[in-house]
Parts: sequence; structure tokens; C-alpha cells
Amino acid sequence: MKNNHSVISSIYSALIPIVLAFFVGGIIIAVIGEDPFLTYQIMIQKSLFTSQGILKTLHFAAPLILTGLGIAITFKANIFNMGVEGAAVLGAFFAGVVGFSIKGINPGVHITLCLVTGMLVGMIVTLIPAILKAYFKVNEMVVTLMLNYVVVEIVKFLAQGVFKDPASGYVSTYAIADSAMFKKIFNSDLTLFFFIAIGVLIIFYVIFNKSKLGFEITAMGKNPEFAEATGMNVAQKIVLIMLISGAVSGLAGAGFLMSEKYRFTLDFSGDPGLGWDGMLVALLGNHSPIGILVVAIFYAALKTGSEYIGLFTNVPKDIVGVIQGILILFLSVRFISQNTSLRVKVKKLFSKIRPNKLKNDEC
Amino acid sequence: MNLIQNILYDMFYHSTPLILAVLGGLFAHKAGVLNIGLEGMMLMGAFASALTVMLTGSLWLALLVSVLLTLLLGLIFSYFSVTLKSNFIITGFGINLFVAALSAFVLKFMQLANINVSSVVNVAGLKIRIPLIADIPFVGNIISGHTAITYTGFVLILVTSIVLYNTRFGVYVRVVGENEEAAKSVGIHVEAIKYAAVLIGAALCALAGMELSVERMALFTNNMTAGRGFIAIAAIYCGRGEPLRCALYALLFGLAKSLAINLALFAGPVSQLFEIVPYLTIVVALLMVSVLQNRNNTVRGFKLE
Amino acid sequence: MNAIRTENLTKKYGSFVANANINLSIPKGEITAIVGENGAGKTTLMNMFYGLGRPTSGAIFVNDQKVDFSSPLDAIHCGLGMVHQHFKLVPSLAIYENIMLGAELPKTLSFKDRFRMQSPFIDKRQERIVIEKLIHDYQFELDPSERVENISIGAKQRVEILKMLYRNVDILIFDEPTAVLTPQEVDELLVNFRELKEQGKTILLITHKLREVMDVSDQVIVIRRGKVVGSRPTIQTSVEEIATMMVGHEVHLQTQKEARAFSKSPVAYQVNGLSTTNYLGKKVLDNISFEIREGEILGIAGVEGNGQSELVKVLSGLMLSTEGGVQLYGEDLTNQWPCEIRKSGVGIIPEDRYAQGLCKEMSLGDNLIAGYHGNSRFCKNNILDQKNICQNRDELLNKYDIRVADPEGTVSQLSGGNAQKVIIAREFDSGLRVLIASQPTRGVDIGSIEFIHRCILNLRQQNKAVLLISSELSEIMGLSDRILVMYKGKIVGEVAGDKANNSQLGLLMAGITK
Repeated sequence: MKNNHSVISSIYSALIPIVLAFFVGGIIIAVIGEDPFLTYQIMIQKSLFTSQGILKTLHFAAPLILTGLGIAITFKANIFNMGVEGAAVLGAFFAGVVGFSIKGINPGVHITLCLVTGMLVGMIVTLIPAILKAYFKVNEMVVTLMLNYVVVEIVKFLAQGVFKDPASGYVSTYAIADSAMFKKIFNSDLTLFFFIAIGVLIIFYVIFNKSKLGFEITAMGKNPEFAEATGMNVAQKIVLIMLISGAVSGLAGAGFLMSEKYRFTLDFSGDPGLGWDGMLVALLGNHSPIGILVVAIFYAALKTGSEYIGLFTNVPKDIVGVIQGILILFLSVRFISQNTSLRVKVKKLFSKIRPNKLKNDEC
Repeated sequence: MNLIQNILYDMFYHSTPLILAVLGGLFAHKAGVLNIGLEGMMLMGAFASALTVMLTGSLWLALLVSVLLTLLLGLIFSYFSVTLKSNFIITGFGINLFVAALSAFVLKFMQLANINVSSVVNVAGLKIRIPLIADIPFVGNIISGHTAITYTGFVLILVTSIVLYNTRFGVYVRVVGENEEAAKSVGIHVEAIKYAAVLIGAALCALAGMELSVERMALFTNNMTAGRGFIAIAAIYCGRGEPLRCALYALLFGLAKSLAINLALFAGPVSQLFEIVPYLTIVVALLMVSVLQNRNNTVRGFKLE
Repeated sequence: MNAIRTENLTKKYGSFVANANINLSIPKGEITAIVGENGAGKTTLMNMFYGLGRPTSGAIFVNDQKVDFSSPLDAIHCGLGMVHQHFKLVPSLAIYENIMLGAELPKTLSFKDRFRMQSPFIDKRQERIVIEKLIHDYQFELDPSERVENISIGAKQRVEILKMLYRNVDILIFDEPTAVLTPQEVDELLVNFRELKEQGKTILLITHKLREVMDVSDQVIVIRRGKVVGSRPTIQTSVEEIATMMVGHEVHLQTQKEARAFSKSPVAYQVNGLSTTNYLGKKVLDNISFEIREGEILGIAGVEGNGQSELVKVLSGLMLSTEGGVQLYGEDLTNQWPCEIRKSGVGIIPEDRYAQGLCKEMSLGDNLIAGYHGNSRFCKNNILDQKNICQNRDELLNKYDIRVADPEGTVSQLSGGNAQKVIIAREFDSGLRVLIASQPTRGVDIGSIEFIHRCILNLRQQNKAVLLISSELSEIMGLSDRILVMYKGKIVGEVAGDKANNSQLGLLMAGITK
């Protein structure tokens, strides 16, 4: 019974911001003289109501699931790791390098090699803020953000220099070899990568809900002093959590490159970027793997659908980004209302507790 | 000689938006609110002013519109974080993403790649030559010839520090940040003070943004603030909330940028890698400040921030 | 005439009634004590008097005028001021700035004496002069320019009192004013109370310490479970009667413990020359040495803030020592991580239970295994065994008589006493060899205090070593076999438990060693 209610309350607290964000987004569409209902209808129809559309949506959901998990595991532990974007981009880039520089090996081996490269690179780039945070208490948020810009510059430098494909009309690396590409399944956009993402999701589900590490992540997130005092060695755990986050972020980038883009371009990650999409997915999904799966698909549907709105209306597809920003804005409020008032309300309604300690400072 | 002159001139040039954002963020920081939305507010200032200039041609109107719009963002931020007690880090990121997307959206809708107002704004003409000072050899070329907003920014460092330490409002801001309960118990309107602190920050971000787009280059491009809001936050961390010290760090980061740009001219093919120097400088500065701060630290573990 | 009178005053938080139909009157110019257990509703009542919370129903009359305060400012305007238990002072400001906060004197701008206007600037010079005079008038010993972060707790309290006096209040409410003072400082404060009374001020004292109540008050009002259960003139009542009214049944706070000869039993826990510094590099622990034998309770007394918190933190691995060492049966525990210290059998009851001891938002089951969640009983191959965790929870809830409404729920539903019992259950059940208990009964109801004291004495019976740190002198004297007194990070004296008395410990706590 209790579980039921927390599920309902978390669905509510996700639905309200969505409705509000779409409402504000609708106003913006109306302001530029377009029909919001038509726009939203096209978005949903093209991405969810055709079988090809659904498969395409799932295909685009895969990297979002991974970056969402990468953000969720750190946010849950109260680490504000904003470096998921950078880790994904750098991971993708080097996975691409491995993808085009090795030729003529078994596809299975090649794909594994590329993915592992992506994960390793993601871990390396996340290791810096992790160590700075864990052992020198440097604010991880600013450092990860700064490193994102560093990553962008490095990638730009390499893509315009040594790894530039001269045959391409714009800045781009060579295309990866055939053996490093994920093959389309059923003639759709869907590839093995989606199933890898689902596999990782299941692992995360176990970590969050069943494992010792999950227990420690929750404790660190809710009360780091308590976690330290009861012997969880928070500094070590911060490094571990950041490394896991870096690995899935790198995997997200690598997989997206190998299943969709095939070559690294400067707008590889899109706007605002896989990492930022992941942040939305994690927040909206309330840091729970199942929530993340649902939201990633929902959000991928929006993105897929947004590709079509240009064909039927004058609304730029960037409207998705606008809605995303508003959504995050509204989502920021939910934390409190869920942790305190809503939960307390639900408790009061459904069990006859006398919460005689609502106020602890009572004397 | 010329190179050093250029580097120092550019240091002031590049640190101006940082200093404005630092001062803006400082009020909120002192009042106990970390304004992560500085980046978005600055971008809004840049975007709104450039757009207004393009549509109307008036700089004053541009100033007005950008300040009003960033104040609106500030109002949203403080409503969410102060009144609704949201997770203000997330709120701030929401604002940043929203503004970035909105400006891209409007540009796309107007079918523009960027907003170029160089036909309306004469960038060179906005530079102010200070009589007497401009004639001092060496120093004159560094200090003179900046824009109005640059000079305003540097004057505001002093103003901020006086306001924070010598006026009623400033004391209240600090008290609210330091001990909210103490403020409440003597009837200080804590929420009002926090709103005011955030709004001051928003207005200063509008100036920073306008300096960046209109006054400096007569050009707005997507995401042109490039993390300056967060660099400002880093400067506030490093300067531990002291206006002068924070401004010094902003200058330092300006210097890093200026060095990167001026020295890249001699670097040949790797010149582009110099772009990462300013960002790395910040990471190193944060590390050093943190090491210094924690040199006597005997406490293990982390507190909820 | 009554300074304060209430009519059917009621305050509800949701369905929970914090104050129910309170009718009381506080005569002008007298000292009235309001006593009650933790959680009885005293603070809620005071907060309503002071405008920090609005009554759900009923009315408050100040000087026979009906009032409706929406903020403390309204209360102050009405001549009602409050000195809180946790001081509402700003550490980085000077004493005079703290007193003037919210009532600053602006600098006046004048131009040839014709235009006069107030500026937003503060006239600090004038403020200092005014406060100097105020301090002189009441003969408090304070330097107005000193920063609050550098002054003693007693001085901070005087600043709080001045803050109210400056605002011309004539009704002063004190919330647990003696909780953090040495016995001697308490005496000084009581003298201050009498002086203020002579000047015509009305004083309302909220406390659970009955000695002071009997000493200084004219009238006692007892509150239990949000209701007034009695009101007596002080001269007509006794400590026993008040205590019985507070709890609802007779209490025997005197713990019975048999004398034991442990001087020959082996040393269990040894601390040698332990020192550490705070973040400013200042020494907060200075050469602390002691040993605890099996079956011994060693008490550490002292006014709060004299290094006890740091000592517990160092001993539990949360803080690093700069010098010295800690040994448990010869095993070196110096600067080990908390997990290792726990593994070797040190149980810890931390000072702040909601910061270090419990995670309010986690479930009871999780809290009851925290720190021992890696044990093979709860965790196999890094996967937690929910069945055993639940079983463990039910066993412990039963064994330690922890009363919960919802065993599946979080710790936030628990009262202070039951929350503390969760920590005790977890630590005592872990097979500890040494217990470090810091303020084990703070903010806990009398029933739980008795239970916790029994648990600790039981441990002594089982030949375990116990380090008890408490600022409650009666607790220290009741339980300890030996008592050490800490002052400014040092141990300044040792007293045998059965020979200790209040005034002797009080002098040591003030740092006075003959």
C-alpha cells in the first residue's frame, strides 16, 4: 500500500511540471503565431504512433538512458557532476578514433574495443574532478563545468587537425570502419546499442535498490556526515561513483557515435547536448532506473518528433530545448515538496501516526 | 612592450563581464543563495540587448530591455529558490538551459545565424578616451580606451564593498546569509532581502551581457557567454565572498584569457589549444584556494552543502 | 495586573496538538517558571508569545491587551523580548552591531544644518557610544567592539539580554538559559534575574532544571503533553512534586549502581597525549590522556565547547589527531577510519544524533544496520539481504522497546527518545567492547533517560568499558566511577565518582584549579 502511494505521488510530481512546461511552451509557440496543439500533436504522432517512429524513438533513447543514469548516480549521492556532457563527448571522440584507425578485425571485437575506449576515456576525464572533490574538497560542479569547456576545445583542436577527414566539406573526423558500426535491426533505426543500454539500466537497478553501494549512495546523498560517521569512507565512494558515472557517460557517447553518427562532428552531441538531456532525464525520472527508462523514451520521442515539426509548421525544433529548460525549472521545486510536505501529507492521510516529532527543536 | 600593453589592456577587457557577474553573484552569495543562473542571466542580457539594438537601434532602450528581462529571470529564480524553497542549483541550471534554448529558438525563427548589429553600433566609437590619463605613456594605453560598462564595472567594485559593509542593507544581506534566525528574530524581512540580492545580481548580469554582445563586438551568437557565469562563481569561491578579493580573481581569470589569446598568436598550429588555458587556470585556482583553506583541516568527511 | 494571560490557547501542527487549551496568567514584576519535559510543548507556547507562530485558536493578552503578533518585531513593540536557547547572534559582527541589528542608527546627512536627511549608511561611532552607556547602566561586563565569535557563552547570553533591554522590553522570556553554563555562571545569571526583577521587569523562565526554578522563581507552571497540569507558588511546592507533575508518575532519577572493584581489571581503552587543532590551526585538544578499565564508566564533565565534541570526533575517526594515540586492548586505533574503529569494537553514541547518528530520511531498518551493513549477516557479495535486515529491525525494536507507528517508515517519525534508542540498539547489538557515549540523553524524555542509563549500567555489569561525555552534571555524577573535567581542550582535574559534588566540579569546569 505504501509503495503504491509513493509511486502515485512520484507520478504526480513528474506530471505537474510536464503539464506546466508544455503550457508555457505552448504560449511561446502561440506568441510566434503558430498552433501549439498541432505542433505537439505532430511531435507525438510521428515518434510514438508509428512502428518505425517508436523504434527510432527507442534508438534515440539509448544514449539518454545512459547519460541519465550517469547523472542520477552522482546526484543521488549529492555530487553535482556536470561533467557527463564532457565525458560523453570525449568518450565518443576517442571511440571514433579507435573506430576508424583499426581496420579489418572482427566486428564483435572492434565494437567492444571502441566501447571500452569510450568508457575508459570517460572515466579518465571524470577522475580529475573526483579526486579534487574527494581529497581536496574542491567544488565539483564548477570543476566539471570548466572541464566540459576544456573537452570542447580539445576535441575541436583534434577534429580540425590530425584527425580531420579532408574529404568532408566541414569539420569532421573520418568515418568509423564498418566493423565498428552497430548494425540496424529489422531494417529500423534500432541497434544492439539500445539493448546494451537496457542491460546497464538493469545493473543500475540492482546497484540502487539491492546493493551495499546503493545503500551507501543513499546515505551519502541524504546525510554525508552520517555516512562518514558510520564508516562508509565517503571520499573513496565519491571517486568510485564518479568513475561509474564517467564510464556510462563515455559509453553513451561512444554508442551514439557508433549507432547513429558514425563520424565525429562538432555538433555531435546536439543542442544542448547528451549530458544536459541526461540531467533532465535523471531529474524527471526521480533518479530511479525505471523512471529514467520511461522519461528517456518520452524525451527521445519529443526529440524525434521535433524533427518533423519543421515540415508542417514554422516552429523551429529548438522548442524542445525551451520546454526542457522550463521543465528543469519546475522540477527543481519538486524535491522539497516530495521529501517533506507531500510525503508527510500522504502519511497523515493513510496511517494513524501521531507525528509528535514534526518539529524536533521542540523542547 | 606592445605585447605586454596588449595583454594588460585585454586583461581589463576580458575581466569586465566577469567582474560584473562576480559582483552580482556576490550579493546573492552573501545572502546565502548561490545563484547558478548567472550564466543564463548574462546570456539573456546579451541576447535581449543585441535584439533590441537590431530592432530599434537605440542603445539606451537596449539597456532598459535587457535589464528588465534579466530582472524577470531574477524574479523567477528567487521565487523558485526563496519562496518555493527549490533546489536552487537545479533552478539555476533550468534558467541557463531555458535562456540558451530560447535565444536559439528565436534566432531560428527569425532565420538568423546570429545577430549582427555592427551597422548600427560603432564599436570603436564606444571606447572612451580618458583625457590626461590617456597621455600617460604605457599606462595610458592600458587604462584608457575602454567602454562605459567596463569603467562602470570597476567603479562598482568599490560601491559593492561600501554597500556591503557600511550600509544598513549591506549588513542585512550579510546577516541573512550568516544567520537567518538572527535576522528573523529582529524582524528583518529575510525573503525580501534575498529577493533584492538576487535581483541586483540579475541587473548586473544584464550589464555584463550587454557589454559582451553589443558594446564589445556588436554581435550576438548562440551560447556566447561560454561559461562566464560559472567562472564568476569560481571567482566568488576563490575570493571567499570578499568583494575586492573576488574581483581580483576575476581579473586573474581575465588575465588568463588575455594571455591565452595574445600568446596564441605565436604558437602556430597548437594555438587553438590555448583556449583551454583560462578554464584550466580556474581549476588550478580552485584547487590552490581549497588546499590553502584546508591546510589546517583535521575534520574528515563532507557536509551537506 | 498580568503581564501575559492566555485564554484557551491552542496550537496544532496538522493533526498533532502541540498546545491544548492553555489558560495561564503571568503576574507583572515576578519571575515565573514554566517547566515540562522535552516535547511537552513549552517552546511552541513561547513561540506563540513571541510571534514566531500563530495560535490555531485562543487568545493572548499582554498587559491585558489582546494581541496578535505576526512577527517577533510586533512582540518587541509590545514590550516582550526573548532570549533563545540557541543564541540568535551573528558571529562576524561586533557586540554593538549585534545589539543594534534591525534598529541601526543611520548617519544623518546635513547641509549647513538646513537640509537633514537619513542616509542608508550606519553611524557606527554613535552606535558604539549608545551601547557603551547601555552596558554601563546594567553593569554587564562587555566590550562593545569585540566580535561575537570571540566571546564566551556567558557573554553571548548577556549580549542577547542587552539586545532585548535596548529595545525597552519589560517582559523577558528565557528559553533554557542555563543549559550551556557552568554552575557558577548559572549563579551569576540568577543574580541578574533578581536585579532585573527589582527594576520592574517580568521574567518568564522556561526550563527543565528544577534547582534553578526553586531558587529564583515566584511561581511555577507545569506543562505536560501540551496541557497545563499545575500551577503553584514556588514556596508552596517541592522539587518532588514538580517532577511528579512533569512526568505524570513518580520518578526516581537517582540511579542505583553497586560499587565495584575494577582497579585490578585490565585496561581496555587507552588515550595518550591526544591533541588536535581546528581549521584555524588553534589547538582544541591539548594532551588528553586517560585509560578506561574493563567494567569502568569514565565520565568527562565540562561546559560545552571545551573540546568534548572534538574529542568524540577524534575517537570516532571523524577528525584527525595531530599528536598522541588511541589504543583498544593494545590495538592501535590512532587516526583510523571510522569503519575500522567500528570493526574493532568501539560503539559510538554521537553528540548530534541527527547529524552523525541517524539519517532521518532513511528507513528504520537501514538505520539499524548503518555502519554494520557490510556484515555477512546483512550483505552477501555486495548485495543486501532485505529479509535479514527486516528481521534484525523487528528484533531490535522489540528488545530496546522502540515505539514506532510504522516499522517500514523512516526515522523522522520518531520522538527524540525513541530515535536515541535506535542508535543505542544498533551500537549495543554490534558486540562492542568499548562504548563512547556523548550526551546520550540530550533532548530525551525522562522515561527514555532511565532506560538509557540502565543500558549503560548494564554494559558496565558486562565488564565493558564506557566513556561518558555529558554536560549534564547529574548524569555524570550518577553514572561515572571516575570523572575527568575538561576545560579549554585540557583535562584539568579528576574526581572519584562517589566523592564528586556540584561546587567542586563547577570550579574545575570554570578552569579554576587550586
